[in-house]
Amino acid sequence: MLLKKQLQQIADIVGEDYFSSEEYMRKLYSHDVGALPNLVNDILKTQVDAVAQPTSPEVVSKLLQYCLKNKIPVIPRGHGTSGYGGALPTKAGLAIEMTRMNKIHNVDTSNMTVEVGAGIIWGNLIEELEDQNLTVRAYPSSAPSSTVGGWVAAGGSGIGSTKYGGVSDQIVDLEVVLPDGRIIRTSSPPDDIIEEFVKQEYNYFPSDDEYIWAIKEVEKDDFDLTSFFVDSNGTLGIITKVVLKIIPLHAIRPFVASFKTKEQMIWAMQEIMKETRPFYLHFITEGFNQMLTDVDMPTHSQHPWVFLCAFEGSKEQLDNEEASLKKIVDNNMGVLEPQEVAEHEWDERFYPMRIKRLGPSLAPSEVYVPLSNLQSFIERVDRHFKGESFALEGAVNNKGEVAVLAWFLDDERKTIAFLMGWYRSLDFIELGLKENGRAYSIGMWNVSHSRSFFGKKKYASIAQLKKKTDPKNIVNPNKVFPGPIQLSMRFNYLIIIAATIIAPVVLWLAGLWVGDIMAAYGLEWLAVTNLTSALVAIGIGLFAGVAVSEIANYVPINFMLTMGRPFLRLGRKIFH
Amino acid sequence: MGTKTFERLRESALDVEPLVCARCGFCTFVCPAYNDTLWDSQSPRGKLYQLRELILKNQPIPEDFAERIFKCTLCGACQEICQTKIPLLTFWQKVRQEINDAGLWPKVVHLLDESIQSSKNIMDLDQEDRMLWTDMVDDIVEDRIDKPAKVAYFAGCNISFKGTLAPIGENTIKVFDHLGIDFTILGEEEYCCGNPYFVGGEWDKAKELAIHHLNKLKDLGVKTVVFNCPGCHRAFNEEYPHMLGKESVAGIEFLPFSQFIAWMLREGKLKFTKEYNEVIAWHDPCELGRHQNIYDEAREVLNAIPGLVLREMKHSRNKADCCGGGGLLKGTNPLMSVRISGRRIEATEKTGATILASECPSCMMSFMDGIENTGKKIKFKDLSQIVVEALGL
Repeated sequence: MLLKKQLQQIADIVGEDYFSSEEYMRKLYSHDVGALPNLVNDILKTQVDAVAQPTSPEVVSKLLQYCLKNKIPVIPRGHGTSGYGGALPTKAGLAIEMTRMNKIHNVDTSNMTVEVGAGIIWGNLIEELEDQNLTVRAYPSSAPSSTVGGWVAAGGSGIGSTKYGGVSDQIVDLEVVLPDGRIIRTSSPPDDIIEEFVKQEYNYFPSDDEYIWAIKEVEKDDFDLTSFFVDSNGTLGIITKVVLKIIPLHAIRPFVASFKTKEQMIWAMQEIMKETRPFYLHFITEGFNQMLTDVDMPTHSQHPWVFLCAFEGSKEQLDNEEASLKKIVDNNMGVLEPQEVAEHEWDERFYPMRIKRLGPSLAPSEVYVPLSNLQSFIERVDRHFKGESFALEGAVNNKGEVAVLAWFLDDERKTIAFLMGWYRSLDFIELGLKENGRAYSIGMWNVSHSRSFFGKKKYASIAQLKKKTDPKNIVNPNKVFPGPIQLSMRFNYLIIIAATIIAPVVLWLAGLWVGDIMAAYGLEWLAVTNLTSALVAIGIGLFAGVAVSEIANYVPINFMLTMGRPFLRLGRKIFH
Repeated sequence: MGTKTFERLRESALDVEPLVCARCGFCTFVCPAYNDTLWDSQSPRGKLYQLRELILKNQPIPEDFAERIFKCTLCGACQEICQTKIPLLTFWQKVRQEINDAGLWPKVVHLLDESIQSSKNIMDLDQEDRMLWTDMVDDIVEDRIDKPAKVAYFAGCNISFKGTLAPIGENTIKVFDHLGIDFTILGEEEYCCGNPYFVGGEWDKAKELAIHHLNKLKDLGVKTVVFNCPGCHRAFNEEYPHMLGKESVAGIEFLPFSQFIAWMLREGKLKFTKEYNEVIAWHDPCELGRHQNIYDEAREVLNAIPGLVLREMKHSRNKADCCGGGGLLKGTNPLMSVRISGRRIEATEKTGATILASECPSCMMSFMDGIENTGKKIKFKDLSQIVVEALGL
C-alpha cells in the first residue's frame, strides 16, 4: 500500500484532476478484457493503489522518477483492451493510463507518416486521417477502443496485417520515457545505451583496433532500439509518442466465401496468399459460425466454414484481385456469398466477442501457426479440447502465419471450474508451438514463452536494457521478464495460519502412527503428547509457515504457471 | 414495488448482463459522459464492471455510484456499439429503478415526480397555463381544443410551458393550417407523457398517464398524432405499447414532425418552391434515431427544400453524438450537459454549416446553451422552423 503522503505527492505531480486512489477507480484500472479466477486475486496483489493519467511526457518522466526512487511498481496502461495480462498489476502500485495523451502531432505527407500521442484511440486516428484522404496501414480488431501505444506495447497483428504486416511493421519511431525518467527517441538512442550494446564487442577483440572499429559501426547501424519496445508491454519504459507509416485512402472491397469442409477453406486460403495480396484474410470455424447463430448474429453463409477476404487498392487492382479470388473459391468448391453478406462481415470485423453471451465468460488464447499447418493445428486442438465449449477464428499475416484466436466459453460464477479451466489458454499455445507456431503476445500469461518469442539474442538484449534502466524491476513487473511473484498479505497470513494449525496435527498423528520410527531417529520429542509439546509444534508450524511464505515470494511467475498447469488440467476434468 | 437488492434486474433477467460485458471498451469512446471526463468510472464499461461485483455479492448500489449512474444521457450509443448486444438502454433504466427502490434518486428527479403527481406536468405549473404556447396562433387553435378529429398534435410539457420553445408548436400549427388539416389538441387534458418516469426507470408511475392519453385520443377519434418532441413520441410509440400491450395503441399512428412532413411531401400535399439558401448540419435526436431507428425522413424533408445544402456531421445517424440533454442529465448535471453540447457545436462547425438543425425541444435547449457557452457563431433551428421559413408561412 502506498502511504497517504506518497499518494499526495503523485497527485501533485500528475494533477489532482488526473489522479485517483478511490477504491472503485483502483478496481477499474486493474483489469483487462479477461476475468481473473478469484484465487489469483487472492494470491497476488492484483489491484493498483492509485491511477494517474499523465498529460505530457514530462509528467510521465516525473512519475517514473518518483516511482523508481520510492520503489513503487508502475503498470503502464492503454485502454485495457488486451487479454494477455500485460496491463494487470501483480504487486499493486501505480497504474499510468495514457488515454489523455491523445493528440495527432504531425501528419507528414511527404514521408507518409503520422506522429501521435500514444494514448490516441485507433478509431479516432483513422477517422481524423480519413478527412485528409489518408489512413493507417494496419489496425487491431479492437480499434474502436484500443490505443496506438497499447498495440505497440502488446504487439501482434490485426486488420491490414495480411498485406502490411503486424504492428512492428508500422512503426517508424517512438518517443519513450525510460524507467529512469529520460525521454528518448528510439530512432536516435542516447550514447550510453548504444555503448551498452557495442562495448561487449570491444571486450571480445581488445587487440584488433580495426576489427573493433568495424564491429562498432555495424552495431550502431544495426542497433534498432525501436524494435525493443514493440511487444515489450511497457517493461522497458512508457511509450508516449508513436510515428506510424500511413497510406493514401483506397477503397476496400470485402468478399465472403463459405465451404463445406475446413480442408477446402484452407486450400483456398493458401491459394489466395499465393496468387493475390489481400488486405485482410480472416476465417471462422464451423463451431464459431454455429455460435454466432446461437447468439442470433448468423453469418447467413451457405456453408459452415467461412472466410472474409478484403482487398484494398485502385479499381483496376480490385477488379483483378476479385477475378482471381472468384476462380480460387470456385476451384475449391466454395461459394462466394452475396455482397451484403460480405459487407456485413466486414462491419463485423471488430466484433469477435459476439459469442461471449453464451458463456457468459470467455477465456481467450492466441497463437501464430503457419498457414500450411492450420489444418493439422485445428484437428489437434479439436482432439485436445474434446468436451470443452470453444470456437476458433484467425487472420493471416504477411508472413504466411495465421494468428489463431481461441475463445473458450466459461462461467466465472463457477469458481473452481473456472479456475481449473485456465489451463486451456496455456495448453492452446503449447499446441501451436507443436505445429511450428509461436506465441502471439507475451503479456503476463505467456511469460514462459518470452525467450522463444523474442529469440535468444533479442531476449538477451532487451533483458540487458531492462537491467540497465530498471534494475529494481519497477516498471510492469512479471511481464515479459518473469521475475518473482509477490503474494498478497492475506495469502501470506493464510499460509502461516495454515502451517500453524497443520503442524501440531501432523506431529500428533505422527506420534500415534509412526512413533516408533520417530523414536528410532531420536525425534520422539517432536510428537505431540501434551500441552508443552503442542506449543512446541505450534512454534514449529509458525516458523515453517513464515519460511514457506517467504520462499514463495521468490517463486518466478513462469514457474508457477508451468507447474500449475497439469494440476489445473486434472482439476478441470474433475470439476467440469 | 421491488425492494430486494437487484430484484428489478433479476425479474427482467438483466442481472447477468454485467457478466456478459466483454470489457472491450467500445462503449467508452462513444459515451458522452466518458468523453467528458476520460475516467472509466463514467463509462458504460466501468459502470457495468462495478455493477458486476455488486450483483455477485448482492450488495446495494452505494450513493456515490448512484450519482454516477445518473451521469448518463441515455443516448443509447453504448447499446449501438456493444460487442455482446447488451440491451443497455433498458438496463440503465432498470438500474435507475433500483436506485429509486433504494431511495437514492437525485433530488431533481424527485422534484419532477412530485410535479407530475401534483400538477400533471414537469414544470409544476397550473394546467390552465398549458395553452399559453398558442398565443401567436390562437386564431387557428381556439376551436380545436378537445374537438374530435383524425389528427392530433401533442405539444409536450417543454413546448407548452417554456416560452423559448413555444415557436416549435406554433410552427407545426401553421403547417397544419397551411395544409388545411382538421386537427385537435388535448388542451388541459394533455398531461406529461411520462417520459421522465421512463428515463428514471419508474414505468408503474407512467401507466396512469398513458391510459389517460390513449383514452382521450380514442374518445376524440384520433388516428394520427404528430409530435415535435421525440421524448413524447417515444413514450407513445414504444413505451405505452410496451406497458399496456400493443392492442392499447391499435389504430393510432404516432408520427414525429419529420415523418409527418415527409408523408405530406410523398402524398403531394406539400411542396417547397421557394429558395432557402442555407447550409445546414442535421443532428439526429437520440430518441428518434438510435432509440427508434428513424433517420431518413428529416433528410428527405431537408433535401426537398430548394437551395438548402445538407451537410452530414462525421458522427451522424446511428453514430450521432448526443446533445447532452437526455436522460435527465440537464437537471442532474447541467455543467456536464453544456460541455457535451459544446462538443456537438464544434462538430457542426467542422462541416462548414452555419445552422445546426434537429427536431427536438430538448436538443434545442441543450444546443442553445452550448452555443452560448462555446461562443460559436452557429445558429440552431428546429426542423419546424425551417419548414415554416421555407414555405414562407
